[in-house]
Order: sequence, then structure tokens, then C-alpha cells
Amino acid sequence: MPTDTKRVRGPEVSQSPSLFLCKNAVKKSTASNDARVDGRQRGQVDVRSVFVRCGLISQAKGSAYIEAGNTKLICCVYGPRETERKDETDMKSGRLITDMRFAPFSCRERGSWIQGSDEKDLSLMLLESLRPGVCLQKYPRSQIEVNVMVLENDGAVLAHAVTCASMALADAGIEMYDLVLGCSIRQEGATYLIDPTFLEENGYNLASGSRENLGSLTVAFLPSLNQISGLQSDGEMGEDTLTGDVRTCIEGCFKLYPVIQQALSKAVRRKAPPSES
Amino acid sequence: MATVQVSEAEKVYILHGVRDDLRVDGRGCEDYRHMEIETDMVSNTDGSAKVTLGHTDVLVGVKAEMGKPRPMVPDEVHCCFAWKFEGRGGDELGMELSNTLYKVFNNRYSVDLKSLCISRGEHCWVLYVDVLLLQCDGNLFDAISVAIKAALFNTKIPKVHISEDEEGGKEIELSDDPYDCMRLNVENVPCIVTLCKVGHRHVVDATLQEKACSVASLIISVTHKGTVTCVRKVGGGSLDPESIFEMTETGKRVGKALHAPLMELLQEEESLGKKRQKVGFLG
Repeated sequence: MPTDTKRVRGPEVSQSPSLFLCKNAVKKSTASNDARVDGRQRGQVDVRSVFVRCGLISQAKGSAYIEAGNTKLICCVYGPRETERKDETDMKSGRLITDMRFAPFSCRERGSWIQGSDEKDLSLMLLESLRPGVCLQKYPRSQIEVNVMVLENDGAVLAHAVTCASMALADAGIEMYDLVLGCSIRQEGATYLIDPTFLEENGYNLASGSRENLGSLTVAFLPSLNQISGLQSDGEMGEDTLTGDVRTCIEGCFKLYPVIQQALSKAVRRKAPPSES
Repeated sequence: MATVQVSEAEKVYILHGVRDDLRVDGRGCEDYRHMEIETDMVSNTDGSAKVTLGHTDVLVGVKAEMGKPRPMVPDEVHCCFAWKFEGRGGDELGMELSNTLYKVFNNRYSVDLKSLCISRGEHCWVLYVDVLLLQCDGNLFDAISVAIKAALFNTKIPKVHISEDEEGGKEIELSDDPYDCMRLNVENVPCIVTLCKVGHRHVVDATLQEKACSVASLIISVTHKGTVTCVRKVGGGSLDPESIFEMTETGKRVGKALHAPLMELLQEEESLGKKRQKVGFLG
């Protein structure tokens, strides 16, 4: 673990009290019935309702905040700025730089301020998901920086980060082919849970049985162009389950699209109110 | 990924060839290059394998050490992946490789992690899988996954006994016989197939030139039963959902077909025992 020299450190070794939690006290998950803990249904395209707002951070070129259930993310976009690396051979198009970080208090166990390898992996996935949507050839020799900060992690973080980042890019006036929306799904046996919470993502229902088809999937989608720009799955799944889940995620993205469009048009109207004639 | 510059004329040539199922080196769209595998090359490791796929050269060494299990899962062992490159630009590539490999193998069914527990909550085996890239000629993930499977097959973990002292302290005893060891069950270890979208078709085992012509690739890891453990899209372009479904189907078919000959080959090599001629690095 890299040591952190910039901050006043606490004790060397400390453990979260949740490790000592009695195993019986952990809730018995609702095995048989269809309802999930927050009242949504299994096996249906029931994404959490989102609250989105653009233009919160005045110092950034564009910014967006998204809240879905208890997951809260904020994103800022800076640029286009002149690129720092002069040895770039391909100067015909711009560069997109993404950075995704978790606040230390965002997850159940305290994280550290220094970026771990999974944060770097998520930043890379975010970059790959956003790049097809941005018209980078209109910004030669420039770089656009996208910074996402997760304030509270309650599941489906990458999916909401993609949505938040594309809203922030649109708010910054960066030219894009289409909005990139993200959707996450958790497959458990025969049913799926769309837009899972943190507990749903990490726990699993042993009662619902088999080892078959247990995994999660995140899809980043461009709705008007019908293109998938990002796909990541893990866990063990059969191929047709995977195909079905991708289609379900696409449906989830279509459900989210009008909300995001409305929030963006409100933000634009606030920034540049239509002239009174 | 390491890239090579390709001219427009060359790109058109490659695209038209792939469209007619004929690649530059004469292969079909779903054919692999010539692959050579050798295990047990490095005597200081617990298991090692070297895979040569075309000009891509990968060496994997596995070392088993005793350590403490993670507090959240007291009866399972964990795997750590490490990578090493020389020269600049290797950092991002290495990180991408090790993160994807971790996702592929972190699945609880790939390696039987419970069999590597020594005493619950206190001691377990930690497997360090070190991947050394000797030469890169495209298609790193496939070569690395085959090498990891071969190295894990070859891994011999010594048997340990825990004995209790009078005061209740635990003593760990290693058996004296160097051949008294346990082997890992690598039946469920997945193999990775990388499919690159070139034009309207996709190719398996792309060379660097073909990679330069493709907008996006899909990395699929498939077990011998045909279940898909990890799917990931890489590259700066976007893919149609229909293409993704086609590529997943192809990847599953190709991946499933890769396992049986690989296991046969590894078992044949093992059965040769002392009679085996070691080729080594310069062969």
C-alpha cells in the first residue's frame, strides 16, 4: 500500500466494527417473494428514480450531480485545455482524461485517499465508455478532463458515473454525438435485479440456489445511435443470460433518457434564458 | 495496447481480406496462430509455463507462500496478480492487464480457493502469479490466460501439517519428501478470447496490424463448460448490440474448443515425466 505523506495519519492498523458483527444479526434476505428491500420488483425493468442537476460548480466548465436511491455522485468537466504532453504523435484529435475517485466515507469500510487499483480500473472503463460519444476530432491538440467523485456508494456506481459524466460534458458545451447512459444489472439464478443496491451487488442469495448464472453486468449505451460504448461483466453466466441482460440494460437506459434530457434542457434554459420578445 | 502504424492502403487491404474470411497470413477469422506451450521451466517456482503465440511470448511463474486470509472470508485464499514491463508506456497496459485478470479469476469457481486453506482464519496459501511479457505481437490476454492455466496445472504446493504444542501454540510442519505435494484442480480455470471488430466482421487472435484497423474489441473469458465469466469491451469505439451478441457467441464457441486440446496437451507433457526434452528459452 503506498503511504500517504500529505495527511496526518491515524493509527497504523484499524478494523471496521462490522467485522465483529454477529452473523445471525445479518438480515435474512427475502428469498422467495418478488419484492426487493426497497420495494422494487425482481425480474422487471425497475430502475431507481434519479435526481439530476447540472451546473452546480461555478469554477468548472461543466458539472453535474446525480442521486439514485442512496448512490450520490458528482462530476466536473474542465477543458478543452492545451494538452501537456508534447510528444503525442497523433495530434489530429483531442484527448479525454477521466478520473474516478471514491470519497473515503462513501463505502461501508473506510477507503483511503490514494487511488487504489480498482479506482484506476473504473476510471479506464469510464474513459472507454465516454470516448465514442465525444467529438474529439473537433478539439485537436487539446485535452478534456472529467473528474467523478463518488460521495456515497450504494450500488451501480460505474453506470451512474457514466450518466453523470456525459451530463457534465453536455453542460460544459463539449460537442457530443449522443448522451452516454449507463445501466447496471445483477443476475441471481433465474431472476435479475436491475440497478442493484450495494447489498444486492455484494451479497447473494444462497437459497435461490444454483451456482449457475450469478454475476453482474454494466452497460454504457448511446440511445439515439443504438450503440454500446461500454460493457463489463463478471461472475459466471450462460451466454443467453448475458444476451438477455444486455437487452434489459438497454431498456433501462431508454427509461432514463427522457429524465436526463429534461434536466439538461432546464439547465440550458437557466444559463441562457430565452430572450423576451 | 502496443500499437503499430498502418497506412490507409494497408487498412483497406486488411478490411477487404477479413470480409472474405481471408486474413493477411492466410488464416480464417476464427483461427489461432501457432501456439507453443512449455511448463516447468523455472525451477525456483512452484509452477511455471511459457507460451509462444505467433511472436507473442509470455512467461508465468506461480509461487505459493503462507499468509493470513482476509478477515471477511476466513476460509478462502486470495490470488494476487503482478506484472512487469520495461520501457515507458507499460504502466497503463500493465494495470489494464492485471485488473482484467483479477476480475476473470476472482470468481469463486475458477480456482478451488477453499482447498488452499490451511487453518481457518489463521493460515492460508497465497498464490502469487507473476506474468512476464517477453515479446508483444498482439493478443496478450489470450496468451496470458493459457499460460496461467498451464502454470496453475503445473503448480505443486507442498503439504503442511499443523501440530499443537503444549501451550496451545500452533506449529507448521512441512513434509520432508519434496514430491509430497498437492496439485490444483484447473478444470474450471477460464481461458480468455479476444475478438476484434474489423470492418463488419470480427477476428480471433488479431495481430498488431489488425488491431490498428479495429475500432473496438471484446474480451471474453470462457470456461470449459461454456459459461462466460467475464466480458469486457476495450477500445475507443462503440459496438452495435447485435455485433456484441454475435461476438459473444463466437467467443464462447472458440473458447470452449480451446480447453479440451489444452488439457490433453498438458496431461501428455506431464506423463512424459523425466523423458521430456526441455526446450527452454532459446528453442
